Amino acid sequence: MSAADLMGPTDEATTLPRRKKRDWLFGIGLTIVAVVVILAAIGPWIAPYDPTSVTPRIVEPPPSLGEIPGLLWGSITGTLEHPPHWMGTDASGFDIFSRVISAPRIDLSIALAANGLSLLVGVLLGLLAGYYRNVATGLLMRVSDVLQSFPVFISAMILVALAGRSTVNIIIALALLYTPIYIRLTRAEVMSQKVRGYVEAARAMGNPELTVALRHVLPNSLAPALIQASVTIGFAILLTAGLSFVGAGVRPPTPEWGLMISTGANQIILGEWWPSVFPGIAISLTVFGFAVLGNALERRYDGG
Amino acid sequence: MLVRYIATRLVIGIAQLIGLVIAVFFLIRLLPADPVSRLVGLNPSAEAYAQAERQLGLDRPILTQLLHYLGLAPEEGPGLLQGSLGISWVTGSPIVEEIGRHLPVTIELITLSFLIAFVLAVPIGMLGALKPGGKADRGVFIYSLFAGSQPEFWWGLLFVYLFFFTLGVAPPPLGSLSPLTSPPPEITGMITVDALLAGRPDTFVEALHHLMLPVATLVFILSGPIIKMVRQNMVRALRSDFVLYAHCAGLPRWQIARYALRAAMAPSITLIGILYGFMLGGAVLVESVFSLSGIGQYSVRAVLSFDYPAIQGVVLIITGISLLIYLALDLIHAVIDPRVAY
Repeated sequence: MSAADLMGPTDEATTLPRRKKRDWLFGIGLTIVAVVVILAAIGPWIAPYDPTSVTPRIVEPPPSLGEIPGLLWGSITGTLEHPPHWMGTDASGFDIFSRVISAPRIDLSIALAANGLSLLVGVLLGLLAGYYRNVATGLLMRVSDVLQSFPVFISAMILVALAGRSTVNIIIALALLYTPIYIRLTRAEVMSQKVRGYVEAARAMGNPELTVALRHVLPNSLAPALIQASVTIGFAILLTAGLSFVGAGVRPPTPEWGLMISTGANQIILGEWWPSVFPGIAISLTVFGFAVLGNALERRYDGG
Repeated sequence: MLVRYIATRLVIGIAQLIGLVIAVFFLIRLLPADPVSRLVGLNPSAEAYAQAERQLGLDRPILTQLLHYLGLAPEEGPGLLQGSLGISWVTGSPIVEEIGRHLPVTIELITLSFLIAFVLAVPIGMLGALKPGGKADRGVFIYSLFAGSQPEFWWGLLFVYLFFFTLGVAPPPLGSLSPLTSPPPEITGMITVDALLAGRPDTFVEALHHLMLPVATLVFILSGPIIKMVRQNMVRALRSDFVLYAHCAGLPRWQIARYALRAAMAPSITLIGILYGFMLGGAVLVESVFSLSGIGQYSVRAVLSFDYPAIQGVVLIITGISLLIYLALDLIHAVIDPRVAY
């Protein structure tokens, strides 16, 4: 066994298969995210039932595999008395399929808005903290230290439950908790960028300090925060679902994946798996898709 | 030198905790919740409302309340300085006692999960690291990315459906012991340990049986980030100069792998510590699925019933433990890695 064997192939040999793998995985991640985004746009319109009104059929199991072709044919020719419940119905009679495809509008909006807000605030504060290092920005970093040492889930729960369980409050709570991450990432990048030659050149051209910071340093310091954002969007979806699961998130009957899992949780002991399993698959795939995307971006950035 | 370092860190940590206590104190009072009406119920008379407010001490100026909570007004009763976290508004018992009862349940759950996740993750991560870019590495990488981005409460429910309802090999998700079993006398608060201390092996086995699914859920979720990190650190260690030197010196392969593993462990332990602190509050969803009365379940109850002293207590205790873990990590790091200086 030679040294080269144990150390693995050289860099040159690893980059080729690695590239292929990344693209294959990247494709899956991109597809998942694209589907979720499309559903967020049109989900509630293409849903066969209103996601927030009940049907008279309670806890109806999803059709078995053998029934699906007949139901498909029936729904195309319009010979059925009501559209089929592809994923069954839950204990209140909601059509699970309609709710699963309507939920991205809520889940994705919360995740995107919370991340957008914290990205905006975090990047600007991070730029200030990295560019101007004085007592005020030192204090800002201590405050964000304290914010970052809060237990994330419990703090989110406190903020949402005490401020009132609404979509806007969830967005604000998540934004507050995610901002320190973006401050820290941007500050570190700004500190490494501001000593480079092009910044010196921009100053020498007679640009005022603020212009140098905003027009030259800022655009070059965005990458770490943007990469982080693609990962955090996935985690924001998980957190939103978790909040609903313990009863500190959106209110029923809002179509939201975590809430749907939670309402189905009591039935799973009785063997009625479908009210929880389908929305769970949706979260599982969605967050995985964002994780893959974030990871691919991170590697691309690191690889130059 | 070391003593001075620890002292400085402790002082900073305590200052941070004081800042946190005050921040949480004002934050929850700024939010538009009305704990008084939550306690007295719907449509109380004005007198009942005023009396409840007086009982909770909410009629006094907010600064007086803060001084009382911090223990700087000893004539009003004990506060933080005297080691008291206040009295629960809902149950009327001291918060310190309640947290002391719930915290061990969470510690038992996550310690067991971390041990198993770590023991499983190290060989899997090493497998991936031995041939970066190979088939095994690819599988390990996708697995860790997947496991690290999953809703743990949903997987807990899936496990319940599979192992309790379908296969019948797990108990129902209704707590840490069957309701018919009397719990062992409370010594540590961790049921498995208490059962052993009380000399009741059957209760010990039953407690493990009830922990089976929650631990499996957490192991699955935790294995993602831990495998990823072991793999990364192992790849880095195998590429370092000392491994090359060991090869040149003609050392056997297993011995080199051992050296590399040791070098890869130091940064891995840091991440595990951070994850552990995170899981103290992060196990709440798994506790909720399996009705384990840990600190997470306690905080859900406290938050949903607007029990301010309990909320403050939970945040303070969890953050305090996390800060202590970070300090311990830095010390351990210095012991393992001789290059680290204070």
